[in-house]
Amino acid sequence: MKSSRLVSTLRYVALVLLAGLFLMPFYVLLRNAFSTQLGITAPQWHWIPDSLNGDNIKELFNNRNVPIARSLANSATVSIIQTFGTVAISAMAGYGLARIENRLSRVILGMTVLTLMVPAAVTFIPSFVMVSSLGWISTLRGLIIPGLFSAFATFLFRQYFLGFPKELEEAAYIDGAGYWRTFWRVVMPNTYGICAAIGTIIFIGSWNAFLWPLLIGQDRSYRTIQVALSQFMTSQRIDMPQLFVGAAVAILPVVLVFIFLQRYLVQGVERSGID
Amino acid sequence: MSFSRRRFLALTGGLATAAMGVTGCGSNTGRPNSGSSSAGGGGSKPALSQWYHEYGEDGVQEAVERYAKAYDKADITVKWNPGEYEKLVSAALLTDKVPDIFEYGNGPTLDMIKAGQVLDVTDTLGDAKDQFSAPVLAPMIWEDKVWAIPQTVDMQMLYYRKSMLDKAGVQPPQTFDELIDAAKAVKTKDVGGFFAGNDGGLGVLGALLIWSAGFEYLNEGKDGIGFADPAMYDGLAKFREFRKSGGVLESASADWFDAAPFVQGETAMQWTGLWVLPQVQKALGDDFGVIPFPKIGTSGRQAVPIGAFSSVVSAKGTDPDAAKAFIKWLWVDKEDYQVDFSNSYGTHIPAKTALAPKADKLASGAGADAAKFVAEMGHGPDLLWTPATAQAYTTALSNIVLKNADPKGEIAKVDAKAKAEIKRVNG
Amino acid sequence: MSTVVTRLRGRQDRNVWFWVFVGPFFLGLLIFVYIPIVWSVYLSFFDARNTVTPTRFVGLGNYSYLLQDRAFLTSMGTFTVFAAFIVPVTFAGSLGLALLVNKAKVAKAFFRSAFFLPTACSYVIAAMIWRLSFFNGARFGLVNTLLRGLGFDNVNWLGGGNYWYWLVLVTLRLWLQVGFYMILFMAGLQRIPTDTYEAAAIDGARGWNVFRYITFPQLRSTSVAVLLLLLIAAFQAFDEFYNTLISVGGYPPFARPPLVYLYLISLGGGTQDLGLGSAGTIILTVLIAVIGLAQLKIVSLRSKEETS
Repeated sequence: MKSSRLVSTLRYVALVLLAGLFLMPFYVLLRNAFSTQLGITAPQWHWIPDSLNGDNIKELFNNRNVPIARSLANSATVSIIQTFGTVAISAMAGYGLARIENRLSRVILGMTVLTLMVPAAVTFIPSFVMVSSLGWISTLRGLIIPGLFSAFATFLFRQYFLGFPKELEEAAYIDGAGYWRTFWRVVMPNTYGICAAIGTIIFIGSWNAFLWPLLIGQDRSYRTIQVALSQFMTSQRIDMPQLFVGAAVAILPVVLVFIFLQRYLVQGVERSGID
Repeated sequence: MSFSRRRFLALTGGLATAAMGVTGCGSNTGRPNSGSSSAGGGGSKPALSQWYHEYGEDGVQEAVERYAKAYDKADITVKWNPGEYEKLVSAALLTDKVPDIFEYGNGPTLDMIKAGQVLDVTDTLGDAKDQFSAPVLAPMIWEDKVWAIPQTVDMQMLYYRKSMLDKAGVQPPQTFDELIDAAKAVKTKDVGGFFAGNDGGLGVLGALLIWSAGFEYLNEGKDGIGFADPAMYDGLAKFREFRKSGGVLESASADWFDAAPFVQGETAMQWTGLWVLPQVQKALGDDFGVIPFPKIGTSGRQAVPIGAFSSVVSAKGTDPDAAKAFIKWLWVDKEDYQVDFSNSYGTHIPAKTALAPKADKLASGAGADAAKFVAEMGHGPDLLWTPATAQAYTTALSNIVLKNADPKGEIAKVDAKAKAEIKRVNG
Repeated sequence: MSTVVTRLRGRQDRNVWFWVFVGPFFLGLLIFVYIPIVWSVYLSFFDARNTVTPTRFVGLGNYSYLLQDRAFLTSMGTFTVFAAFIVPVTFAGSLGLALLVNKAKVAKAFFRSAFFLPTACSYVIAAMIWRLSFFNGARFGLVNTLLRGLGFDNVNWLGGGNYWYWLVLVTLRLWLQVGFYMILFMAGLQRIPTDTYEAAAIDGARGWNVFRYITFPQLRSTSVAVLLLLLIAAFQAFDEFYNTLISVGGYPPFARPPLVYLYLISLGGGTQDLGLGSAGTIILTVLIAVIGLAQLKIVSLRSKEETS
């Protein structure tokens, strides 16, 4: 079949071109990370970086004013705790809403879905004032706890559990297990896919958050990586090489998490009843 | 709504306490606990926090930490803030954990004063008030009280490359028409004529278009704008023409506040700050000169903008009296620090006029020119020209230049906004 | 079997366990989401400048001001243009990519990753790459270099003197988002039973017809979900605009979606009008809810028609 071979060749040409286009920004990020300021702003665009010896990276980690290593550690702490915490809290809530009959289920579900429609900006200032009055400015608590309650994640978990086969649970109840044991021993081990999917989304959001950590992590030692990066853009100059090498360092962990979890992600979405 | 504020707060407070119970935590503010000095408990010094925005010059952070350490009547913790400083401060002022002392451009906003977030420092300043440059201090005065102490004065001017202007056979422009011609004459395939930011100067030149045309922000009676005048409309139309003449470089490797486009030869003239002077001197030696913004129209005059980051005391701070004492010590009494702060990191002008001769960077050449411009044609902001009015003016300017809107109609809208704002703040 | 189960669990018991499971989330939602929302609603009826405990009640004053405020209405217009464009383009783009990648026999995982990876990038970093390298208005920007190679002049992408900034914003958002929706469509495609296709092949259906009469109808529920998510995301457009266009001088008066406008009012440099900002976000929330519900209604009506 000639035509089908032609089609498949065309398909691959299109795929390769598009993939190149989609990966190009990452290349530009790396190019800038390994260039000098003059290299980035030279009159002519060039593809090859001019500072391949990694001076920028050395300078980044030796910069006394910008605590990069500390910021990376803070971001990692906040993101990891937030990811696991949110998944646990939302999975439990989703399961409760899907499986345990209660008069208030519908009300709580409605309230959850409603918050999906509210732009985060609405609640920003009151949240900040409230967290401040709890004394959580410049604490890990303030950075982590307010972000643990994701309506989006709870809603997805509920949809997923609605379509989850009941037989496993029934068997566990016959064996005398209660809700608690059934959930943690029988249900959760079968939900890695959806957990990975939701966890990835939460992790990315948490890692990339900017405004909240800027307001809450007022002490230097509580700065996250995205806030630390903004130090290269002052009101007098923008230090492009440092900015981009910092961005490259900041994006690396997320890309790794991504590549590692992607397989689960696709499976998770497939079965979540996200639609 | 029968729902009173107190009840509402009690309710939220109750829930917040419940949250504390859930998370099981005390209240660690992450700040040193301050022993109140008024109690004089055991001779412990008050602990105060002081906020700065992140300055781009090297060494400033170390300098302000050094000043704070040298003060022996209180423990000052300096906080150096990256990111969007104004938003950070205004958000923090809503909470109970305010910075005791913070710097803010040209003193606190009128809304901060009216909301009772900041304290008046008239007595702190005392007789020293007259030692400060009057136009710099003006925007910090409201209802005859002073609300901030200027730290150092910043100004902007037009830098030009002597060699490039000579080669094109043009003189440094004195009038706006000359500027238009000069920018076109010096422009080459690779070098732009005039650069004032990646927005084509809309953001930074707005005020200058008013002053250089011979007008002020507000009218004599301070109840509306001071530039609703045909000469102003002509000036704005001329600015639009300038933008379209091809002499304006609209994008460069950095913005107007950065010396890079000028020193890297991307433009022959650039509107930027006095603060970049050391960089420009290092890169270009004496192949550059500085001039004020040229005069527009027949009734115009040359002008430069001045402004100052100023020290403000929070009303809700832990020990306002100690905070006032500290800013008096640092920004009124300690003159060697003030000179160091202005002169050692980038170039700025000491806020107290008498100190200018002590700043060696202002003694000769372009630095001396700058000091002269400030003294003779410096214009500062006006407290009644509120951020909302300024925003309306920027919008008008943008519509005139980018959308060919009629200057007269657009300025009328600004006037309406300014009137509403003035009425609001006086109400 | 289920009777045994019911006997094992008393009513009381069930209520306790319901709260054990749902309680932590619900409590957190109340404290960290609902208190702030209620607080915002409260603020929106007051003249609240530089304070979160205002005293001057203004009733619907903030609302009526905004609904007559040209800048706010313009921002709504800006947003409508953006949504009208970005929603269908993202939809078509992600569906197209899903179909392309789904049929790939070699290196499928690689292509999927390539399109999905940008989702990991933050708006701040993406905006930096777009602003400082790709669409830099200066001569060293990549796109300008290419244009000059073709004999054109440099374009000032973000100056506002032309409408090219839309290209910058749209490409940025597409790059960041298309991969995510592609994954959703791929999952939907996986679920279509293969025998449907086999039957169609026997009937002689080819290419476009297969897509039109089989694939697309089967993807209906996925499409609805994607559309809803896209609309909500478009309504909440903030980051790409803000990070791309903000400069030291502030945010320009063009290309200002409602959330950016309201953000500048309530937390911008120098103004902090929380009453107005809250009122605006509530107007937006109501709009999003109405559109979201209308869409769900239409979908459920259509599925009823089809089943009857």
